Amino acid sequence: MAIALEQTRTASRRRISRHRVGRVVGHVLTYLGIGVALVFFLGPFFWIVTTSLKANNDYFAFPPVWIPDQPSLAHYVRLFTNSSGFRYFSNSLVISTLSMAAAIIVSLPTAYAIARWRFGGGVLSTVLLVLRMLPAIALIIPLYIMYKALGLTNSYLGLVIAYTVLYIPFAVWLLVGFLRDFPIEIEEAAMIDGCSRLGSLVRVVVPIIAPGLAVVALFAFIATWNEFLFAVVLTGIETKTMMVLVTSFTSGGTDMFYGEASASVVLGVLPAFAVAFALQRYLVKGLALGGTKG
Amino acid sequence: MRRTGLLAFALVLVALVAAGVLPERAPAQGAKPYAGTTIRAVVNAEYVKYSLSLVEKELFDKHGIKIETEVIPLDAFVAKTLLEFNSGKSPWDLVMFGPSNMPDYGRHFEPLDPFIQKMKLEFYMDDIPDVYKKLMLRHQGKIVSMPYDGDIHIMFWNKTAFERPDNKKKFKAKYGYDLAPPKTWRQWDEMAEFFHGWGWDGSDQKLFGAGASYKPSGSGFSYHWWRARFFSYGGMYFDANMKALINSPAAVRALDEMVRTMPYYPPGVLLFESEEPKTMLIKGEVPMLYSWTSTGKRVGDKGESVIVGKAGFGIVPGAEIDGKIVHRPSLTPGRSMAVSIYSQKKEATMKVLEFISSPEQSLKIVMDPKTIMDPWRVSHFRADAFKKSFPDADKYLKAIEDSFPHVVPDPVIPAANEYQRKLSFEITEALARRKSPKEALDSAAAEWEKITDRRGRDKQKAQWGERLHEMKQVGIEHHPEWAAKAK
Amino acid sequence: MRMPTLALKRKQWEPLAFASPSLFLIAVVIVFPLAYAFYLSLRDYDLSVGPGHEFVGLRNYTEALFGDRRFVESVWNTVVIILPSLIAELLLGLGLALLLNRVIKGRPIITALLAIPAMVSPVMAAMAWRMLFGVKYGAINNLGRQTGLLDVYFDWFSTPFLSIVTIVLVEVWHNTPFMMLVLLAGLQSIPQELYESARVDGASAWQTFWSITLPLLKFTMAVGIMIRMIDLTKLFGLIFVLTYGGPGGATETVAFTTYLVGFNDFRMSYASALAYLIVGGVLVLTLVFMWIQRYREARAA
Repeated sequence: MAIALEQTRTASRRRISRHRVGRVVGHVLTYLGIGVALVFFLGPFFWIVTTSLKANNDYFAFPPVWIPDQPSLAHYVRLFTNSSGFRYFSNSLVISTLSMAAAIIVSLPTAYAIARWRFGGGVLSTVLLVLRMLPAIALIIPLYIMYKALGLTNSYLGLVIAYTVLYIPFAVWLLVGFLRDFPIEIEEAAMIDGCSRLGSLVRVVVPIIAPGLAVVALFAFIATWNEFLFAVVLTGIETKTMMVLVTSFTSGGTDMFYGEASASVVLGVLPAFAVAFALQRYLVKGLALGGTKG
Repeated sequence: MRRTGLLAFALVLVALVAAGVLPERAPAQGAKPYAGTTIRAVVNAEYVKYSLSLVEKELFDKHGIKIETEVIPLDAFVAKTLLEFNSGKSPWDLVMFGPSNMPDYGRHFEPLDPFIQKMKLEFYMDDIPDVYKKLMLRHQGKIVSMPYDGDIHIMFWNKTAFERPDNKKKFKAKYGYDLAPPKTWRQWDEMAEFFHGWGWDGSDQKLFGAGASYKPSGSGFSYHWWRARFFSYGGMYFDANMKALINSPAAVRALDEMVRTMPYYPPGVLLFESEEPKTMLIKGEVPMLYSWTSTGKRVGDKGESVIVGKAGFGIVPGAEIDGKIVHRPSLTPGRSMAVSIYSQKKEATMKVLEFISSPEQSLKIVMDPKTIMDPWRVSHFRADAFKKSFPDADKYLKAIEDSFPHVVPDPVIPAANEYQRKLSFEITEALARRKSPKEALDSAAAEWEKITDRRGRDKQKAQWGERLHEMKQVGIEHHPEWAAKAK
Repeated sequence: MRMPTLALKRKQWEPLAFASPSLFLIAVVIVFPLAYAFYLSLRDYDLSVGPGHEFVGLRNYTEALFGDRRFVESVWNTVVIILPSLIAELLLGLGLALLLNRVIKGRPIITALLAIPAMVSPVMAAMAWRMLFGVKYGAINNLGRQTGLLDVYFDWFSTPFLSIVTIVLVEVWHNTPFMMLVLLAGLQSIPQELYESARVDGASAWQTFWSITLPLLKFTMAVGIMIRMIDLTKLFGLIFVLTYGGPGGATETVAFTTYLVGFNDFRMSYASALAYLIVGGVLVLTLVFMWIQRYREARAA
């Protein structure tokens, strides 16, 4: 009897230690997998950044020099001066900021109408799906003709209008979600105190859902910052964005302008890095539902 | 106290008066009438912008004019600029363009003569060789532009490859004739085969057989390379009735040869634009290349080239017809500069045009290896400075002049850019083995017929008739029987 | 969420007023241009020829489908790029989501880091990878040569096949994080009790995966695939920077070819017809996909 008990205990101890080994191996494999993924997904950025800091003899050397021992910002300086990088970076900044602000200003009331008054029935999700299916190329052809006639090409206004409207459906959709979670009693209290609808929206709702607004704003910023087709067709020498600038370094192979090319990529992906860190918690919701695609 | 105050007040007054007076006495009359003007130029590549930057400072010092240059990439250049012009305006004063597109551009450019009379400008027209004068100046009889870049194709080779006794022995043993820079296409192809895959420079590196640019494009790469063969086999763009002849036996033979010899070229050749094969030549990786004359400057650039003093220059290979070799190097007249009729600053822009076209300034531009601009003035070819600028530069300049009698222009009719683009695309499709040469050229011919119809067959036929006549006068005609008998 | 039952009466025009700015903008900037584009597609507006145009009926559409080899090939190219990309993104995304689900420490920061490629512009991704694949001095070839795996001169874009492979690789790099996040959300919505009871029943990891995780993820995967598929039909910026459609026309996608027709040839009417064909194609794809989903769900029931 005692021996049988002893045997069961040893067997169960063996089972337990097998489980523990299994768990450790599982952990190691998991973190190994994550490590490989990190190298694969972030490695390119690492190389681009180091390349943007390299001097000529570093870039053209073999055996390859992976990390320059005398990093310099010469390429960035040249990008900003010779290639008008400063102007185009500001263009992107201005256009994205204005579009983001305009999108929110126009979308918030609309989202309110839908959240509070079920405006438009259940049309919104259908509209969203339809717009998702729409390729930008279908829109840019007639828009280009219209803009040319109105003189809106090569202007901030033209691009901001287009970007704002393109992002309204997403902004509305995200905001409807935030507004639905908003307790209506607070609004009612404000209106009993004499606030108008609009007033209550602006003075009561907005401050409280401000974090949500910030999320939508940042996603809108990224979507418009990354947009390419409209930018390449509708901008001219004064209004080019960073996305268009990067394409001027592709002719003749990427070796001739490697410094400007890598520097402009670094600048072009800055917002993505910034927003990713700022919005870690919202990434699943916003990204997964397409909030960063224009 | 009051005296200091008064003194201070007087000083301020004097300063104000001086400030008010001085600008008026600034260079106004005569010396720099356009001082302070900025004119806007548009070009199709970063190195053209760079070439303008070479003369910007002197332009500013001498005339007080600044140039602001916009670069529109090659592929979209013709389309974008024409779109602006066709809608009746343009944001640019100085326009760079490809002279082959003159039929589409010409009516948007300001004729030079009235300004030459009024402003007493001097363009030294006699200092331009006929080859370029015919193609790069006039639209409907009036002079509307000045050349900026005279592009033709000549052949470059690596002397080491051709003069090593070891190479010579091996070649003679395999092919039965002496190794020398190729004179016919057959020789070129055999030498490409011979040189491919081993160290013909004496090293143990695996080098390539020949260089080329096979990317499709509007000012076509693959198309320029193909038509040197096509015309030497008797080909022609259209017949007198505007039927496209680009799928004739001469055409198919030319493309077929190119497809068969693809293995002897570097792997990325289908994507090469102008500079990549030149780089390979000057780094000693390909033994021969025919390409734009700007290659020569890069060959002689000690900073980059390993074949300085070890390179040969000659005329592009041809086809042997009835015992004579017919050469048909491509004339791809690179670039001209013109003044847009929509400009608000025509006089200042004319002044700039005169400046950058002047023999001294243009010589500076065409001599610099980084500008990729080619000589176009007679004085360029005679300039001692140029002849001595790198070893054998005189032979290089002579090769260019020797090629002049044989060069073949683009089809200079409306929609030239589109014709070239569609043909170049199909040629590269065949080179990429996505279609057979016959299929590709048939598609191209069909596309050409579509373009002709869209633009108006009769209109195109009239324009083409003139070109056909001009080409006939220099001996370039359609010879359907050559394709079979060319050796 | 209860409907507002305020003491104050709702003014009838208020909802419309609130929504009107965006409605107006959408009407002017999206609806009207789309209608105009359809109108144009039935005419022959060609800016390279002149400003006038006439009615030509469905000629543009028939030419595109039966007389334009380049367009038809671009459809094929698009399909050839979409299929492997979708499969790779799904498998890789699923694997990553499963791994990430097991990570407790530092999950937010790791998620954020892995999400970054999906948040950069396709143009930036393409430029970065184009440099990485640079023949002489790119990181990949340098690494290859250093480790002796690659020959001296390997050009990743030299043949049509290689170019497609490279595009798929960059596409997968760019968008797998998206799929990963979608699937992660799906994983996190699976109730833990199911896993607990499975463990108690002695199920192995594999069995748990196949009988619990996968079935419950099916819907999320379908949504993810559909979104990605629609996005892939619009592939443009990546092509523009990575290969510009080359070599020859080997990597021209439908959106890219339409762009060339519209903004290199300036044949606006024909380009509009092509664009509507693309829209039609996407619609058909989506409907087919949804029908397949419904069919499989009906069968499973």
